[in-house]
Amino acid sequence: MQSELLSSPNLEQGVSLSQDALRRLRKNKMAIAGLFVLIFLIVIALLTPWIAPYSYDGQDLALGVTSPSQQHWLGTDALGRDQLTRVMYGSRVSLAVGFIATAVALLIGVLWGATAGFLGGRADAIMMRIVDVLYALPFTIFIILLTVIFGSSMLLLFLAIGAVEWLTMARIVRGQVLTIKRQEFVEAAVSMGFSPWQIISRHLIPNVLGPIIVYTTLTIPSVILLESFLSFLGLGIQPPQSSWGSLISAGVETMEEFPWLLIFPGLTLSITLFSLNFLGDGLRDALDPRSAKD
Amino acid sequence: MLSVKNLRVVFNTRNGTAVAVDDLSFELKAGEVLGIVGESGSGKSVACYSLLGLIPTPPGKIERGTAEFLGRDLLQMNESELRKIRGLKISMIFQDPMTSLNPYMRVVDQLIESVLEHQNLSKEEARQRAIKALTEVGIRDVDTRINEYPHQFSGGMRQRVMIAMALITEPQLLIADEPTTALDVTVQAQILALIKKLQQTHNLAVIFITHDLGVALQMADNIIVMEKGKLIEQGTTEKIFKQPAQAYTQKLLSAVLTTSKPTPSLAEKTEPPFLQVKQLKTYFPKFGGVFIKRLIGSEKAVDDISLTINRGEILGVVGESGSGKSTLGRSIMRLVDAQSGEILLEGKDLLNLSDSDLKKSRRNFQMIFQDPYASLNPRMTVFDTLAEPLLTHKLATQKNVVEQVNQLMDDVGLDRRFIRKYPHEFSGGQRQRIAIARAIALKPKLIIADEPVSALDVTIRAQILKLLLELTQKHQLTMLFISHDMSVVRYLCDRVLVMQKGKLVEEGETETLFSAPKESYTQQLLAAIPKL
Amino acid sequence: MYIFILKRILQSIPVLLAVSLFTFIMVRSAPGGPFDQDRNVPPAVIKNLNAHYHLDDPLWKQYVDYIMNLLHGDFGPSFKFQSHNVNDLILAGFPPTLELAFYATLFALVVGLTAGITASLKPNSLQDYVPMSSAMLGICLPSFVLGPLLLLIFGSWLQWLPVAGWGQIPGDKILPSITLGASYAAYIARISRGGMLEVLSQDYIRTARAKGLSPIRIVFVHALRGGITPVISFLGPAIAGLLAGSFVVETIFQIPGLGRFYVQAAFNRDYTMIMGCTIFFAFVIIVFNLLSDIILVYLNPKLRQQVSRGH
Repeated sequence: MQSELLSSPNLEQGVSLSQDALRRLRKNKMAIAGLFVLIFLIVIALLTPWIAPYSYDGQDLALGVTSPSQQHWLGTDALGRDQLTRVMYGSRVSLAVGFIATAVALLIGVLWGATAGFLGGRADAIMMRIVDVLYALPFTIFIILLTVIFGSSMLLLFLAIGAVEWLTMARIVRGQVLTIKRQEFVEAAVSMGFSPWQIISRHLIPNVLGPIIVYTTLTIPSVILLESFLSFLGLGIQPPQSSWGSLISAGVETMEEFPWLLIFPGLTLSITLFSLNFLGDGLRDALDPRSAKD
Repeated sequence: MLSVKNLRVVFNTRNGTAVAVDDLSFELKAGEVLGIVGESGSGKSVACYSLLGLIPTPPGKIERGTAEFLGRDLLQMNESELRKIRGLKISMIFQDPMTSLNPYMRVVDQLIESVLEHQNLSKEEARQRAIKALTEVGIRDVDTRINEYPHQFSGGMRQRVMIAMALITEPQLLIADEPTTALDVTVQAQILALIKKLQQTHNLAVIFITHDLGVALQMADNIIVMEKGKLIEQGTTEKIFKQPAQAYTQKLLSAVLTTSKPTPSLAEKTEPPFLQVKQLKTYFPKFGGVFIKRLIGSEKAVDDISLTINRGEILGVVGESGSGKSTLGRSIMRLVDAQSGEILLEGKDLLNLSDSDLKKSRRNFQMIFQDPYASLNPRMTVFDTLAEPLLTHKLATQKNVVEQVNQLMDDVGLDRRFIRKYPHEFSGGQRQRIAIARAIALKPKLIIADEPVSALDVTIRAQILKLLLELTQKHQLTMLFISHDMSVVRYLCDRVLVMQKGKLVEEGETETLFSAPKESYTQQLLAAIPKL
Repeated sequence: MYIFILKRILQSIPVLLAVSLFTFIMVRSAPGGPFDQDRNVPPAVIKNLNAHYHLDDPLWKQYVDYIMNLLHGDFGPSFKFQSHNVNDLILAGFPPTLELAFYATLFALVVGLTAGITASLKPNSLQDYVPMSSAMLGICLPSFVLGPLLLLIFGSWLQWLPVAGWGQIPGDKILPSITLGASYAAYIARISRGGMLEVLSQDYIRTARAKGLSPIRIVFVHALRGGITPVISFLGPAIAGLLAGSFVVETIFQIPGLGRFYVQAAFNRDYTMIMGCTIFFAFVIIVFNLLSDIILVYLNPKLRQQVSRGH
């Protein structure tokens, strides 16, 4: 009955803020390009076990290094392994770490920040103090320590990297919650006797989501970068599993004679980072009307 | 000295081209004060900014017009020529002195800047000029204060500094853009008097931009009324006041005239009294320190306030910023916790309720907030906003909620067709109507209105006040009306309470208070209302 | 002001202790000791070595001994390079790393600020898009991709610049500094552009324009103060990233700096070296964060006065 009445043609349709933001996003060509590239990469990564031309550890010692050719689009490395396959498997690793570690950071950060912001007062002060102290620690170094000690498994990377990134997420979430909490419509909700859960779900969360989405999208490339960084140093994903970082590292060693071994993984990594950053920037501009290009 | 003809300024936004100023012409003689009056969107500020080339030129554009000043057309000048006029021949002062002064620079440096830029004086001579200028605007202990930063001055003082800064180069024309709007009422009067005095002493020509026709009538020799970019009416102050020709001018004038309440009070005394507040104290702890916060005292926002409201009465609470009037409202609403005292609504205690009892009681007292932009959830449609309280408190079922929402829309004068729209698609006045609809949705016994019209344009204000008056009568509401504006209070309220720094200064029947105020602070507040 | 500095220093001490404790526990819980790597060493010798280095003492005692030594400035001997003290290694390795970080920061500030400020003066124009697109490039080309690329182009193909070393051949500091500084230049460009745009839209800039001041004065005297505040907030914590970045850059360009030593120590399970470096790095990061905070307070008159009143 209600939905019938509400969809009566007499009523003027409203345009929500989210629809407005999407409209702005669609106009941003770089962001949309980034989104498509990202989707393409994700699809390839998911389908890799089925569509990769070779297996990732299939060696052909007799072949050795070859330059890009018909059989091997990106060439082969010293052990005769097909580079295209290795880059594709590498994308699985990097994207997996990127999304999952970010998800870990998101979960912890949102819970921590939202609780601190919502509770306010002493609880907030203590919780954010902890964040401040942890922030001062050299986490990259700790992660290196952890990988040295416990070996570098994917699980460890997810947890360790997530444990580093949640701090900034918590700060952002808390900041947003505090800002929204002070808005009068939240006071109005309180004064109408709504339950805390109703206030959080209908009033706080929808208004806090925007910056969180933006920041999450921008965290993924940092995480991928961190993982590649570790792999480059030899402290991350171990061979024969390939990560873009370790591929680049191997490529550096022979870069003068066989530059393509360095260039292709490097290019793939950079393009991924570009797409994510453009998309994140686009989201940020779309959600913040102040930076609109008039 | 200044002759503006056919000025047309447009803005090219991504939503199309907006005409900000449409065919404006006026004249200004030396030593004359011209008041430009208009509400938001009237183009009054844009017109004056464009004279000095201060509007951003994308997206703005001066399409047509001439502005002759001292024999040259300002609108034809290039940037470096304009720079020789700005701050030297024509100076400006702005609305908000806190944000208009550079917080990182000492006052003295900001004062001597324009002197050093435009005139060939040494730093020491410039400094002497600055001291003289500050003394002239009424700053005391100038020798020490001149080295301080803006945040060390109060609002009124900062505006005085701005004025000194504008006049230090002895310009011929001063453009004042709403210079008193952001100030407290009593301070406003002082600054207006100061500007008047300086104008006479220096024989300055002044363009005084304001949304308040009352202020313009006080300050100006001639007045221009603008609406939506067009010149509606112009004439001498006397003519505008005595014989306003256009309907819009008449609307502005009537909104400014302080009239008493048009309908009789519906108050009825009951035993126990409808709302009783006894010795209420709300203190806020003050924390000092940049990185470690320590308790260094408390701010006594509400300091031992007692009051009574009778059923059906509209009680006004008046005060300037910092008086505690908002905190009083929020304390009664239980949005802020009072330290001690009693609040009794129809004899029932509101302070010592359990959480679940409080939630249930809340529907009996509702609030209308000041800022129509912030008091509505931007992600909920009008329907969602109005239906939520009805459904939560089971006043409506899924079947009849649409009809109830429609009735609320009718009550506040909004078109039913808009219920699926979002807050950002409405104007300020419409949003406030939605907020009022939300407040009465739960059929509360008491409504606390916290400056509900202060953020609205003058003509809209009158409509909303009329709406509030009608609603209180139709639904037999009792209201606590908080405001800093004495004339609004006079129109709406049966009784008035005056607050200052958390304490009750005076209370009484509205007309009695207005005609024979007992306390000197009340007299000060009343004296600040522009006399016409 | 001095009380404020003292307070912050005192606050940092528990952090350092926490770092040392955490590192100690982590390192000791690793399977295998430093001497197990060498398969040629008979067990008896291992036992003696462990005793010599007190590795068979109870853990808490080892920790306390370590802290006591630290307070005397003694980081202990390196397990791997037994003739050297960790102290010596740190003292030898730190100067190149510090110099590298310094030049990288200098590059980042000069390039970043110029790009960011220029972009902010004409938003959404070519003057804006070009620097900002280049900045995006800097963010998305990590140092371990950029470095080798620069080496290839300028070292191998064009042969303009040296490919390795630090201080041996003139010009060998250029490529490493640019590699490390590039992404920071990009971040600073974006941050300073944002900060300047924010400040330029403030009312007091409008007042300055209304006073007829020259554009140069408006940008550099009025706007810059507020505009670079976010850059300074960024720089303090950035030191942590610079140090981490030095690991990669020193490896690629064969620079004998602390970063490279640290990575090697990690591979070699050189306990004292790992601990020493971690604590040392943490110390450096804390010092720079403190400097950044102090500068921020100094630049803001309101905070400056609050702080000097001893809060």
